[in-house]
Amino acid sequence: MPALVWKPEYPAITVADFFREGQRSLSLSWEANEESASRNPIREIAPNRPGLALAGFTKYFASRRIQVLGLAEMNYLRSLSHRQCIRVLAGLVRAKSTIPAVVLARGRHLPAYVRSFVEATRVPVLRTPLVTGEFVTAATVLMERMTAPRIRVAGTMLEIKGVGVLLEGAPGIGKSEIALALIERGHSLVADDTTLLRRTGPDEITGEAVEITKSYMEIRGIGLISVPSLFGIGALRDHMHLDLIIHMQRPQDGDDDLDRTGLDSKTRDVLGVKIPLITVPVAAGRDLTHVVEVAALNQRLRATGYDAATALDERLMHRLSAPEPDKR
Amino acid sequence: MSTPSPETLERGVRVLNRYGIHARPAALLVKAAAGFPDTDIFIRKGDFAVNAKSIMGLLTLEGHHGLDLVLSASGPRAAEALDALETLFRNKFHEE
Repeated sequence: MPALVWKPEYPAITVADFFREGQRSLSLSWEANEESASRNPIREIAPNRPGLALAGFTKYFASRRIQVLGLAEMNYLRSLSHRQCIRVLAGLVRAKSTIPAVVLARGRHLPAYVRSFVEATRVPVLRTPLVTGEFVTAATVLMERMTAPRIRVAGTMLEIKGVGVLLEGAPGIGKSEIALALIERGHSLVADDTTLLRRTGPDEITGEAVEITKSYMEIRGIGLISVPSLFGIGALRDHMHLDLIIHMQRPQDGDDDLDRTGLDSKTRDVLGVKIPLITVPVAAGRDLTHVVEVAALNQRLRATGYDAATALDERLMHRLSAPEPDKR
Repeated sequence: MSTPSPETLERGVRVLNRYGIHARPAALLVKAAAGFPDTDIFIRKGDFAVNAKSIMGLLTLEGHHGLDLVLSASGPRAAEALDALETLFRNKFHEE
């Protein structure tokens, strides 16, 4: 059995994390109260446009989300007298004090007359040159990625003709050697030995290398090698969806379990997603490179709806249930 | 997921050498661990653990100077294996 002793992580993020990760892609900059950013958790990730709450209806105000002030909100605030404007903002902050941050879209600044009030609330305020819709979409995707449940597993991950394959098995069973042979045949390495898996959708797991060892492999007898330096950047893939787990095991331990037909497809639960799993015995001298490649292609075929084992079995059952008279 | 067998032994260690678990110390640990082929040996940092027989795994620990880790071993020579690995940590991987 593989000794998977990892625990899944469910990352929590603060406004400071969001700023750091989104600074470039969302062109974020600080408008006010930067010092509160690391204290404020973002408990719900989809940003909110607080139009109704600004108009006074705060009952269902989504206060745990980042609040985005776009063209409509800013113009509404500007239509108010200075005193009314501050009263409206105070109502928002008082109604719920859990607002993680406010983002001003379209590169707007806070009006000068609310600045001292906003600073007193200590709610961090950011700016982005993006229009509101673009910001909401991009920020949601970014925060989904940052908070995706994740787990580190012992396994080497490859991309084989569009199929993401995780090779697992005891240390020394030859995962890296097979990966190397597959790279030489034109496939790409995602991660050697330790793979970080994230749940990136309801039915999607994405694998990538742990940052510090990314693009390197260890090959027994040679040592550490750099994959892109030896094979070109095409031999490396930054991340890949996981489609198949191949568990390599030495022949003696429990071969009775092996699926000889491919009819009884097994799966492994990875962060709540069922991933197809096959077990391949590793006998001395057996070239698993082709086996792994064919397994990947077969998985792709299955994904299109054609299952070779089922198709052959159906043909057999059809023939056997209506035997033709013996012509010989 | 395999649950740790009842005879799993654990021992805390600290990274004492200046440069932490870089490639050379990782290789020393792997060599020491490989001397116990029937024993499962893991090094745990917080919530995740790596197999002590895997160089790449050990490197992903990012075991910097001063970090506390937990060695765990299960199998016929578990205590002996822990001694061997702990000695390497104590001797700063022969670096200083």
